[in-house]
Amino acid sequence: MSLEPNFLFTQLLAGLSRAMILFLLSSGLSLIFGVMNILNFAHATFWLFGGYLTYSLFQALGGEGILMLVLAIILGSAAMAVFGFVCERLLIRRMYDRELPEQLLLTFALVLIFGDLIKIIWGVEDRAVFLGIEPLQMFDTFVNPYYFVIITVGVAVAAGLWWFLQRSHYGKIVRAAVYNRDMVSALGIRIPLIYAGVFALGVGIAAFAAGVFLPLMPMALGVDISIIVECFAVVVIGGFGSILGTFVASILVGVVYAFSVLFWPDGALAVVFLIVILVLIWRPWGLFGTEMRF
Amino acid sequence: MSTSSTPSRQARLSGLFRNGALSTPVLAVLFVGFLLVPLVLGEFWIHVANEILILGLFALSFNLIYGYMGQISFGHAAFFGLGAYGTAILFREFTGGTGEIGYFQFFAALLTGVPVAAAGAVVVGYFCVRLTGIYFAILSLAFGELLFFIIFSWYGFTGGDDGIQRLLPPPFFRSEVPYYYLSLAVVAASAAIIWRITESPFGYVLRAMRDNQQRTRFLGINVRLYMWLNFVIAGTFAGVAGALWGPYTRSVAPVLLGWQESGIAVFMTLIGGSGFFAGPFVGSIVYTFIQAWVTGFTVYWPLTIGVIILAIVLFAPGGLLGALDAAIARLRGGESGSDLEAGSGPEPAE
Repeated sequence: MSLEPNFLFTQLLAGLSRAMILFLLSSGLSLIFGVMNILNFAHATFWLFGGYLTYSLFQALGGEGILMLVLAIILGSAAMAVFGFVCERLLIRRMYDRELPEQLLLTFALVLIFGDLIKIIWGVEDRAVFLGIEPLQMFDTFVNPYYFVIITVGVAVAAGLWWFLQRSHYGKIVRAAVYNRDMVSALGIRIPLIYAGVFALGVGIAAFAAGVFLPLMPMALGVDISIIVECFAVVVIGGFGSILGTFVASILVGVVYAFSVLFWPDGALAVVFLIVILVLIWRPWGLFGTEMRF
Repeated sequence: MSTSSTPSRQARLSGLFRNGALSTPVLAVLFVGFLLVPLVLGEFWIHVANEILILGLFALSFNLIYGYMGQISFGHAAFFGLGAYGTAILFREFTGGTGEIGYFQFFAALLTGVPVAAAGAVVVGYFCVRLTGIYFAILSLAFGELLFFIIFSWYGFTGGDDGIQRLLPPPFFRSEVPYYYLSLAVVAASAAIIWRITESPFGYVLRAMRDNQQRTRFLGINVRLYMWLNFVIAGTFAGVAGALWGPYTRSVAPVLLGWQESGIAVFMTLIGGSGFFAGPFVGSIVYTFIQAWVTGFTVYWPLTIGVIILAIVLFAPGGLLGALDAAIARLRGGESGSDLEAGSGPEPAE
């Protein structure tokens, strides 16, 4: 095994882009949990579904060119956001005054159902998009420049989400709903619409993430199952409801994973879970969370 | 976050307070039914019935944590898997490549799985019981996954992702019927012990902790110690089920510890009704039977079970026994559902 600087550099880039996918998924997960108190097991499954959908849209649009991919991603994310809205109105809404295990089971049932729907619609083959990007020479090694696109997109979404929650009118309503939904409701704001909107936003971001990753990472059956557990790890490490915490934890998990793979290929995730255990024992509310919800 | 005591919750848990009003007849019928299975059904269904028994015990032990103590564990399969591996590794050492094992060694291997699982539960439980709700669930999940990856990558000792194969029981237990009756005896004895535990003062402390942890603490009860004890008991019986599993399928694999295996216990408990002692067992019958039947003609088993779970969560939150209980109550004049929640009080702000 070579631990030369250029090799470590590519590994770091791979880790950071993995961190971005974790962030784009976990931010929605964390937002939904923060606002509605629902832990959405099916989040990564919706992500995968969005990825397959974007793939099909891209093929329908001709199947080549970055512009068409961007269009497909926009259409795919919008379609999944609408889907998320409907899903919240039809199913998730019924679970708000239920107990945690029942909420988990409902969303886990969605994992099973949509996992199989993907199999029925798209079959068992992996789906990826080939853009034919030339590798870039950096530090005596070749790097896929798409890594930089992904990292930029991830940081941009993080900044946008932060701005939305901290500065925009609707973001302030969402944050107020985290603290006191009865009060917000009493002010004449329609909480059910806010909830459905937050769920749609989360699912939309997840589908967007899947689309952006299509040129780098093929959509395959069962990936959702392994990635959702990692997202739980991220959300717990960062602290529920904290966008900054989710961002930092995503980078931590992504980079730690990328480097543990080097010396313990089968058990890289075990290192991640070890961090989760330590965080839960030491600071159960996460690195950046507050004790409020604990 | 305060969770109010909703009608669905009251209906769901009411069964645990009536000293088995519904569970006793259900279990009695089931026990006689299971005794008769080999006389009536063919080899395939004996095999299925054996799986129902073993997974039923696994789900029953899970419900000690969920239905009785009010916490959800997504790492319960870790103890099922530890029991299976504890048995399988000793089994492998005893056979020494010959493929044959003596009767004494066979039972010694079966017994070894139990303390291995219990030891795992002592360590994992020590940390898990410090948390509740979502944090309990995720910490148990993280421990389960950690153990999964350790077993998955420790080729020299556990066989890694290949697992351990050729766990052939001694000649007498090799055919379906004798091993089935061995399972039945072990599972019935374990269920009887678990039943005794849940009806003891200890069992009622569990219900009290589920309904109001703060108030239970004010009564002078060491909540963490009781939760820990219960976690270890649940893990131990999961280990009993795991020990039976290896020789039953002739192999063990790391997936036995994974969170999806834990999910099976959760599904079974929910389908049968977590508010009833017999619930997980009824769930195991339904789940395993439907799986054996459905997978005969379609590969879309996840879709099938997903729709079933969705329907149960939405329309029958008390599970099948909860629905049965409500139906019986209606026939008797609608008295049920109000006077059953003996142990409930106002919910605390946690």
